[in-house]
Amino acid sequence: MAKASHWRLNLGMGASLAFAGLPLLFLAFSFFLPLVNVFFFGLRTEGRWTAENLRTVLSDPYVRHLFSFTAFQALLSTLLSFVLGFPLGWFLTRYRFPGKSLARALTLAPFVLPPITVALGFFLFFGNTGYLNNALRAAFGLREPPLRLLYSLWAIVLAHAFYNAPVFARFIHAAWSSLDPSLEEACAVLGVSRPRAFFTVTLPLLLPAIFSAAALVFVLCFLSFAIPLSLGGARFATVEVGIYLYARVYLDFSRAAALGLVQVLVTLGLAYFYVRGSGFFGGRQGRTRPVPTLRFPSRPAHILWILWLLLSAMVFLGPIASVVADSFSRPLGGKPPGLAWYRTIFSPEQNPFIGTSPLGSILVSLEVAGLSTLLALLLGLSVSGALRVLRSRALEALLMAPMAVSSVVLGLALLLAFRNPPFSHLPEKFSLVLAHGLMFYPFVVRIVRPLWEGLTPSWVEAARTLGASRARAFLTVEVPLLSQALLVAGAFSLALSLGEMTAAAMLSRGELVTIPLAIYRFLSARRFGAASAMASLLILITVAAVAVWEWIGERSLRAYGQA
Amino acid sequence: MPMARLEVENLQKRFGEVVAVDGVSFAVEAGEILVLLGPSGCGKTTVLRCIAGLERPDRGEIRLDGRSLLGLAPEKRGVGLVFQNYALFPHLTVAGNIAYGLRHGRYRLSRQTRKKKVAELLDLVGLSGYEQRKPHELSEGQKQRVALARALAVEPKVLLLDEPLSALDAALRVELRRELRRILKERGTTSVYVTHDQEEALVLGDRVGVMREGKLEQVDRPQELYERPRTLFVAQFLGRANLWPAQVLRKEADKALVAVFGAQLEVEPLGPLSSSEVLLFFRPEWVELGEGPFLAEIEEADYLGDHWELRGKVHDFPVLLRTTGKPSQFVRFRIQRFLILPNASFLNHS
Repeated sequence: MAKASHWRLNLGMGASLAFAGLPLLFLAFSFFLPLVNVFFFGLRTEGRWTAENLRTVLSDPYVRHLFSFTAFQALLSTLLSFVLGFPLGWFLTRYRFPGKSLARALTLAPFVLPPITVALGFFLFFGNTGYLNNALRAAFGLREPPLRLLYSLWAIVLAHAFYNAPVFARFIHAAWSSLDPSLEEACAVLGVSRPRAFFTVTLPLLLPAIFSAAALVFVLCFLSFAIPLSLGGARFATVEVGIYLYARVYLDFSRAAALGLVQVLVTLGLAYFYVRGSGFFGGRQGRTRPVPTLRFPSRPAHILWILWLLLSAMVFLGPIASVVADSFSRPLGGKPPGLAWYRTIFSPEQNPFIGTSPLGSILVSLEVAGLSTLLALLLGLSVSGALRVLRSRALEALLMAPMAVSSVVLGLALLLAFRNPPFSHLPEKFSLVLAHGLMFYPFVVRIVRPLWEGLTPSWVEAARTLGASRARAFLTVEVPLLSQALLVAGAFSLALSLGEMTAAAMLSRGELVTIPLAIYRFLSARRFGAASAMASLLILITVAAVAVWEWIGERSLRAYGQA
Repeated sequence: MPMARLEVENLQKRFGEVVAVDGVSFAVEAGEILVLLGPSGCGKTTVLRCIAGLERPDRGEIRLDGRSLLGLAPEKRGVGLVFQNYALFPHLTVAGNIAYGLRHGRYRLSRQTRKKKVAELLDLVGLSGYEQRKPHELSEGQKQRVALARALAVEPKVLLLDEPLSALDAALRVELRRELRRILKERGTTSVYVTHDQEEALVLGDRVGVMREGKLEQVDRPQELYERPRTLFVAQFLGRANLWPAQVLRKEADKALVAVFGAQLEVEPLGPLSSSEVLLFFRPEWVELGEGPFLAEIEEADYLGDHWELRGKVHDFPVLLRTTGKPSQFVRFRIQRFLILPNASFLNHS
């Protein structure tokens, strides 16, 4: 039966329009207007329209360097991510071993792991006096640190690979395990060797997934902020860092805006490419037999895998473990610290390194995270509802537009908007609440919407024939059925907000110093112990969010699978 | 006991270019079970959804005890619906599902009353003690019973059932349809039941309406429908049918004479016919084997346990016969009962 007709009947056209209108109105006011204002800034000087800012920005050799460097490091990062991620995807698909579901869950972790904790982890693990160099020096009796990675392109690329190799692993694992195993069996029957079957059948079928992961990873690396800022220094700045420097250090808003305008155009192009790419990947095959798995470890040749996994574990777990270890072991005042670093970060006293009290920073972070999660859930739910009622690609593009704008540009837009009424009447922290709400509601939509669309209409119809009104049916049937998805989305949004640093750096003012910024400032001041303690706190929160996702999320989807 | 008379008048509903329901009219008396029978896509489910208020008809009238239901929201109609896929709420227990309408519907009952009512209904459908189960822990047959109990809980004036047994296996279907009829009759609920299964229709319905391409062809008591189909479609859709071309030789006041393959048959007086070409309709069991004017050459014989089903030809025309004895290659027979149906432009041999 036509779903649309059922909805129109149940809701009425006017109510449907109101449903779609509310989020649209909110976005118009809090997103599109501030964004257009940024473009005005970039295109106007002294009340005249002019392309002068754009021209100066584009002809500036430093800006050109920014763009070419940004693209270059993104390309290298994508390649390295693929090289590290492909074997992991292969391993997850082909082998079964104890703790496999935990390993699969861990591939999600980097997605929510705050970049600043990774940057800190790289300092502590790969740094000149880091755990790795110290261990190598001790092992080989060297005087100088053998690996000099920091403040180089390679530090940035390696950190990006840390983030994005699991993205590749996840995409490849998903595509590979949905391939029909009879294809490879057919090759065997036809007398084709296994490597040849891989290159002529399996790999071509995985290419769409690889390309779509590559496009996504490239965009993520292109827009990376915290990692180049803290690991690259001024020499290795990306466009995001450039906009931040213009806006917050040189206070040249026109240039920042012009650079932002150029960046939006570039990212729109990249987003288009990504959407095209993921279109290839969209059609999943019907349910086939699962790909047969081998027990691991079960053969002598598996020693190679074990070596590779140890290397991967060093890259992936080394930095994170270093952060936690450092928070408990870095001496404070010449003595072993015990919990002293944690006492430091829960102190209500003004701290000169971060410009506010550490406890105040934690509290304001929690406040911003809580409020922005609420906003993201409300926006996500109403956008999902609107897209369910009115199926229109144009509307979808409008309602999901904040996804296509980088965090620095969004931060810039809100920074400028909050200088004038009516926003200037609001407390400053609301600028960050708004930024995070806008950044994270698309994730809520992505989690909630497919589930909502998958609910059979007969559940609501049953409720209504039993005497419940449309609104009551929504509250007593749809909301409870979506509650698990909302919980997962909420946990995710909370963790992302607590770890987000780009918009937080753009919008920080006075007391508005969130945890990642405090970590960055401790790090810049080389107060590693306090930075590690705060970063450990974030890691704990991230792990909790991933646990919620893996356990509640997947289970609820299974239980409600079309009863 | 809620008792109500449902009338549907000239109902029409189209989806885009497709006319799903094309001028359907019928009435269901208080306490009666009407079965709408037809192949899939004939519009029977759409009729139900219109009565429930889940679709808005383009034209026509739906009345309950003389009051129009059109314009009323589904929750205000007092019409219950048992869904084909049951639509049990997966987040609620069995008790929660059955009590849903008593908690969120028109009559919001207290916790104690709800509990008592749920126990009563579970007893009625034979699932006492299942209160705390979740839907995914139930078998298909148990889900079916819970869906029925949930719909009955709010004491609807009319209960609509949309192929409620179609997801069950054959043995369970037979058991449940008997029980369903007992429960509906016990509560005296006016019911409209939709199915594509003719046996189900005959067993369950006080009356059966046969639908085809959005139109209601005939509404009658099951026996009447089987023995006196008024259209070719009804004759073929319900049970097994033989249809032979025949010519009307003579029409008189008290009888008529019809010629079939050289034999002449005397029939009851015929109504007005557009042509002298008619169809002779008879069921396999209306035939006496052994002697008679017709000789069939048997081509296939299927053994079905208590009888054989024979497919053969009479004068190159297919015939379906049944016998309890051992079949032979040539069978002579006489037609004991038959009907004359108006000829159609083409014959559809089932």
